[in-house]
Amino acid sequence: MNFPVVEFPWLGNGTVIAIIAIIHVIISHGVAIGATTLMVSMEFVGIRKNNEGLISMARKFSKWILIITTTVGAITGVGIWFSTMVIQPDSIGSMLRIFFWAWFTEWIVFVTEVVLLIIYYYTWDKWQGAKRVIHNRIGISLAIFSWITAAIITGILSAKLTPGKWTETLSFWNAFFNPTYLPSLAFRTFIAIVLAIALVSLPIKLFVKDKNVQESVFKVFGFWNAIALPGILITGVWYLFKVPAEARELIVWSTGMSESAFNWINILGLVVFVIFGIWMLKSPKKVPIILSLAVFGASMGFIAEFEGVRESVRKPYIIYDYMFANGIKEKDVERYNEEGYLPNSTFASVDEVTDENQYEAGEEIYKGQCLACHTVDGWREKRAFSNRIEGWNEEGIDTYIESLHETRPFMPPFVGTDEERAALSHFLANVVEDKKADERAEAKEGDQ
Amino acid sequence: MFLIGSIIPNDIELVIPGNVGFFEVVLVVSFLLHILFVNIVVGSSAMAVWQEIKGIRTKKREHDLLAAQLADHTSVLKSIAVVIGVAPLLVVSVIYTQYFYPSTLLIGKAWLSLLIILITAFLILYVYKFRWEKMKTGGKKIFHVLIGATGSIMLLFVPLIFIVSVVGMHYPEMWEGSKGFFHGLFYYPQVWQRYFHFILASFALAGFYLYFWNNRLQKKAKEENKEVSQVEANVQTQGKELGLKVMIGTTGLQLIAGTLLLMSFDADIRLLYMGEDALLTTLLGGGILLTLAMIYFLMKLMKQDKRKYFMMSLASFVLVLGIMGWMRHELREAYLDPYLDEYDRSTSETTEVQEGP
Repeated sequence: MNFPVVEFPWLGNGTVIAIIAIIHVIISHGVAIGATTLMVSMEFVGIRKNNEGLISMARKFSKWILIITTTVGAITGVGIWFSTMVIQPDSIGSMLRIFFWAWFTEWIVFVTEVVLLIIYYYTWDKWQGAKRVIHNRIGISLAIFSWITAAIITGILSAKLTPGKWTETLSFWNAFFNPTYLPSLAFRTFIAIVLAIALVSLPIKLFVKDKNVQESVFKVFGFWNAIALPGILITGVWYLFKVPAEARELIVWSTGMSESAFNWINILGLVVFVIFGIWMLKSPKKVPIILSLAVFGASMGFIAEFEGVRESVRKPYIIYDYMFANGIKEKDVERYNEEGYLPNSTFASVDEVTDENQYEAGEEIYKGQCLACHTVDGWREKRAFSNRIEGWNEEGIDTYIESLHETRPFMPPFVGTDEERAALSHFLANVVEDKKADERAEAKEGDQ
Repeated sequence: MFLIGSIIPNDIELVIPGNVGFFEVVLVVSFLLHILFVNIVVGSSAMAVWQEIKGIRTKKREHDLLAAQLADHTSVLKSIAVVIGVAPLLVVSVIYTQYFYPSTLLIGKAWLSLLIILITAFLILYVYKFRWEKMKTGGKKIFHVLIGATGSIMLLFVPLIFIVSVVGMHYPEMWEGSKGFFHGLFYYPQVWQRYFHFILASFALAGFYLYFWNNRLQKKAKEENKEVSQVEANVQTQGKELGLKVMIGTTGLQLIAGTLLLMSFDADIRLLYMGEDALLTTLLGGGILLTLAMIYFLMKLMKQDKRKYFMMSLASFVLVLGIMGWMRHELREAYLDPYLDEYDRSTSETTEVQEGP
C-alpha cells in the first residue's frame, strides 16, 4: 500500500466506483452524445420541413441537456477520477502517466464542448429566420465534440482490458490504439443513440400532448434507431472477438447469472428493442407507452450489464498483464514474496509481523490486498468475508489463500511472506468470528 | 495510520510524460484560469442572494433584476469553471503524486463528498435561476431566497475541502497525526488564512465581472441604438457601481488577509518572502505595489467612468493574478524542497530502464 487506504465497509470500495461510473455512462452516452444528436436532428428536420413542433422540441431538449450534463454529467465524469484516485490510486496514477496527453487533449475538447453547449442554449432567439441554419450548425459541432470526448476516453478505457503491445513497448500510441479501441468506440457510439431514444421516449409519451409532434419526433428517432440497433449488434460481435479468450470466458460468470438465464434475459431485452424500433418506423403516432417503459428499463439493464462485464472480465487485473486489481504490479510479486509486503507499504501501521501484532498486521494486509473488492461484512454477500469464510479456521484460510489464484483464476495471488499470510489468515478468522459473536449477542438482546 | 520508514511513498514507476518544469508552468496557468472562474461563481452566488434580499427590503425592482443577473453569471460560469479545473488537477496528480495523493486520500471521504455537494449545489442553483419569475411573491419569494442561499452556502463550503487537501501536501511530517477532513481544518496551519484570502478574492472578482458585464450591456445598447427602459438603465449603472465598490473594499481587506497568510507560514519559509530570497521578495513586494495601484485605478474608474482606467485596472489585475499564482507555486516548492531532493520522482532522467511514450 503505497498510499493511505480509504474504506467503505458496507458498500464496498468497488461499488462506490461502479455507482458513479454507471450514472456517468448513462448521461455521457445517453444524454451528451445521444440526446444531443437527436436534438440537432430534430432541429435539422424541423428547419427543412418548416415543422415548428420539432424545433420547439429541440429547444426543450437543449434546456434539459444543459441542466443534466453540466451538473450530474460533468461532476460524475470528474467523479470517476476522484473515486478511482481514492480507491485505486496506484492504478489511476499509472493511467495518468500513460495517457497524460490524451487526457490533456480531452480537457481542451471538454472546454470546447461546454462552451458550444452554452452558446447553443443561449442563442435560440438570436439566430432566427434564415439564420436558424447557423444555430443548427453550432448544435452539430456540439454533437461532434461530445463524440470526440468519447473517442478519446475510449482509448484509455479499452487499454485497461487490452493493452496490446503496450506492456512491452510502454508506448502511448500502442496503448491508445489497442486491439479493442475501434470496436468499442463504434459499439459505444451506437449504444449512445439507442440509449438516448430509450431515455427520452417515455417522457415524450407522458408530457407531449400533441400527437402530431409525437409523430414527427418518433419518425426522427425511428430513423436513427434503424441505423444504430443493427450497428450495436454488428460492432458488439466485432468487439467480442477482440477481447482476450480468458476474459471472454468470464462474461457469463461476471453477470452472476446462469448461462440459460443470461441468454434468455438478453434475448428478451433485444426483442423489446426490435419491436420498439419497428413500431417507431411503422406507426410513429401510436407508440405504446408500455413499450417505451420496457425499452427504458431494458436499456438501463444493458448498460449496467455491459459496464459491469467490462470491468469484471479484466480480473484478476486492473491493467491487463501489468497491474492486479488490488494495485500490485505483476512484476513485483516475487520481490514482495521475498522481502515481505508490509516493509514495502509506506502507509502500513506495522512493517513486520510479530507474535504480538498478528491481528494488526493482518488487518493492514487485508486493507492493502483484499479491500479493493472485498468487505468484512458488506451488502454484496459473495464478497463479504463474514459470509464467505464463516466457520473456517486459520489453517484452512491460510491453505486456501496460498493457492487462491489457482482455484479462483479471477483473483490476484497473495503476495508476501509466509508469516504475513498467516497474519492475514489470523485477522480474517478473528474478524469474522468477532462479527458473528456480535450478531449473536445482538440477536439475543433483541429476543429479550 | 502510522508511517514507518520512509514518510514519502515511492513515485508511480511509469515516467512523468514530459518536462517537469514545463508541467509546472501548465499547472500555474491552468490553475489560475480555473480559479478565476471559480472566484466569480462563488462570489456571484452569494451576491445574488444578498441583492435579492435587498430587493425585498427596499421593494426596488432594480435590486431584484441585478440579483437575477448575478444568478445567471453563477449558473453559466460554473460549467466553465468545472471543466477548466480538469487540467490543473491532472497536472498536480502527475507531477506531485507522492504528495497530493497521500494528503487527499487522508481526507478521502470528504474528497468524494465533493461530488454530492457540487451536484446538489449546481442543481439547486439551476432551480434558483429558472424559477425566478415563477416564485416572485410573498412566501414563495422567501423560499426562493432560501434556495439561493442553500446553493451559495454549499459553494462557500467546497473550497475548504480543496484547501485542506492542498495545504496537507505541504506537511508530510503531519500526515501521521491526520484524522480526516474536519480535524484537518484546524490541524494544518494556513487553512483558514488561505480560505479568507480566497473568499475575499471571490467577491472582488465577482464585483469586477459585474462591472465588466454591465458596462458591456450599456455599450451594446448604445451601439445598437436600442431603447432601454429606465429600470434596465438603472440596473446597469447600479451593477457597475456595486461591482467596483465590492472589488475595492474586498481588495483593500486583502492587505490584511494576505499579511495573516504570510504570518501563518513556517518562519524559515516566511523569511524567504521577506528578504532572504530575492525572487520571492520581489514577487511579494511587486504584488503588494500592484495591488495598491489597482485599487488606485479602480477608484479613478469609480469617479470617472473611462475606458482608460478600466484597462489600467484590468492590466494591474492580470499582473497581480499572475504573481499570486506564481508565488503560490513557489510556496509549495519551498515547503517540498527537502523532500523533492531526497525522494526521486520518476522522470526520464531518474528512470533509465523505461522508455517513455
